[in-house]
Amino acid sequence: MTNDEIFAKISAKFPKVEKAAVQVKDYLTVRLAAKADLVPFAQWLKDNAFDMLETVTATDHLGPVDMKGYIRQQNFNPFLPDGATPQIEAVAVAGYAYRPVMDLLYVFYSVKDRARVFVRLEQPRENVSVASLTPLFKSADWQERETFDLLGVRFEGHPNLIKILTPDFTVGHPLRKDYAHIKDRFDE
Amino acid sequence: MSNATQELKTDQLFINLGPQHPSTHGVLRIGLTIEGEVIVKAIPDIGYLHRGTEKLAEVRNYHHCVVLTDRWDYVSAMPNNLVFCLAAEKLMGVKTTPRADALRVIMCEMNRVASHLLFFGTYGIDLGAYTPFLYAFREREMVLDLFEMICGARLTYNYIRLGGVMVDAGPDWLKRTTEFVEYFKPRLDEYDTLLTYNPIFMARTKEVGIVTAAEAVDWALSGPNLRGSGVDHDVRKSDPYSGYENYDFDVPLGKTGSCWDRYFCRVQEMRQSIRIIEQAIAKLPEGPFMASGVAKIPKPAPGEAYAHVEGSRGDLGIYLASDGGISPYRMHVHAPSFINLAMLQEKLVGMKVSDVIALLGSIDIVLGEVDR
Repeated sequence: MTNDEIFAKISAKFPKVEKAAVQVKDYLTVRLAAKADLVPFAQWLKDNAFDMLETVTATDHLGPVDMKGYIRQQNFNPFLPDGATPQIEAVAVAGYAYRPVMDLLYVFYSVKDRARVFVRLEQPRENVSVASLTPLFKSADWQERETFDLLGVRFEGHPNLIKILTPDFTVGHPLRKDYAHIKDRFDE
Repeated sequence: MSNATQELKTDQLFINLGPQHPSTHGVLRIGLTIEGEVIVKAIPDIGYLHRGTEKLAEVRNYHHCVVLTDRWDYVSAMPNNLVFCLAAEKLMGVKTTPRADALRVIMCEMNRVASHLLFFGTYGIDLGAYTPFLYAFREREMVLDLFEMICGARLTYNYIRLGGVMVDAGPDWLKRTTEFVEYFKPRLDEYDTLLTYNPIFMARTKEVGIVTAAEAVDWALSGPNLRGSGVDHDVRKSDPYSGYENYDFDVPLGKTGSCWDRYFCRVQEMRQSIRIIEQAIAKLPEGPFMASGVAKIPKPAPGEAYAHVEGSRGDLGIYLASDGGISPYRMHVHAPSFINLAMLQEKLVGMKVSDVIALLGSIDIVLGEVDR
């Protein structure tokens, strides 16, 4: 199935689902209008041969990384003179539309058709909460936990939404762009 | 006394498997609640090796990020290098040269052989067969020597670069690789007699940890774990990259999805890798090994790209988003070990304690990739 055929099938059933403005190169990327569409859409994909939920993740579109507490020493290479090559600073790029949005990404794969659909869902950045896909796909379990741990997205109905990668004492969600590192016992 | 007639009562017992235990292949902890010999609850605990490479990538430029990729799956780092380069090249619109593609294929397949040899050896140890380990490491050492010869590193290569590869393979290296291939082919039959059809080994793996095809797809397994259950899914065939469509090779499939099937898929995959290496060396195109037009500090136009390869452990994918700056705005790793491991919490329930290692070993995880 080509991307256009898949999209024709999708828009016949879900007219509100549109192609995303930014397409993931070479793959079909669609954008859901509201978070209420997520579970019906995932269910429909599962019933239509997209039986594998490959990826659950999200992107924080707030802006470049907050460097506070990030770099202990600007110039950590002892062989270079002071201030020779400072670590790269994340800087805002002029003309790019940063916005306070958490952009969720789901990747569905059809083993039979060898086709892949990228599904995006934009949510306001604070207190993001969407339905969990664990009742439909078992593979959502750990990936939703990872997304919760690193990006602070809450998945309603997840049976065990706890930290998975970061240690217990980490406060905050490291992949959020405004995450500021708080010194802990491993810093010095 | 009436003790003999009284029913023996067993309490539930909580035991920690790991985080420091040779059979967990790294720092994985599994909290097991057992009742007698049977597991009633299993809680895998990961994150001991979490280094936050996705976050680190956000303040490094694209060339620096290749170094980070080596540290995920450190026993098979070439596919890691490759998948990041493929994603970044998609973003930047760089087209690699035919010779670079062929060299990438050779390296990835050699790395698959090395990685599967490590699995073969350690899986034997896990199940009490020490000898195959010595044989497997003898051959793995040769592969690592070849890698050391071409790029100077044995595990973290940083060999595949944006736009091509680090150095060209000279005639001497190609000759030695051909010699290795010729040497290695009969060894695979030796392995089968050593371990594959060993009755004790088969008894411990044939009926253990069976994952049906539907379950495997539901858990989104990939690589030999998925193919061991009989699902025909290989990125090299379904979504070819780096010219894999030009090579003639088969995708070995298992039948029942038992530990033995997953093991046997890997052993057969080594034969296919050797076939691919032979073909790639035979028709290695001449020309430059690095594409022109890769900037020293690339600034790809805003956009998103996804690339994935068939790594040694499964479908390894990278999602890259660029805002037009010098570092990736967001990098997400679709790590096969992480996703394959998730089935453990459910699959272990009801198994015997002695079979935990059989199942865990057959999933073939690398904790560097699980935790990233």
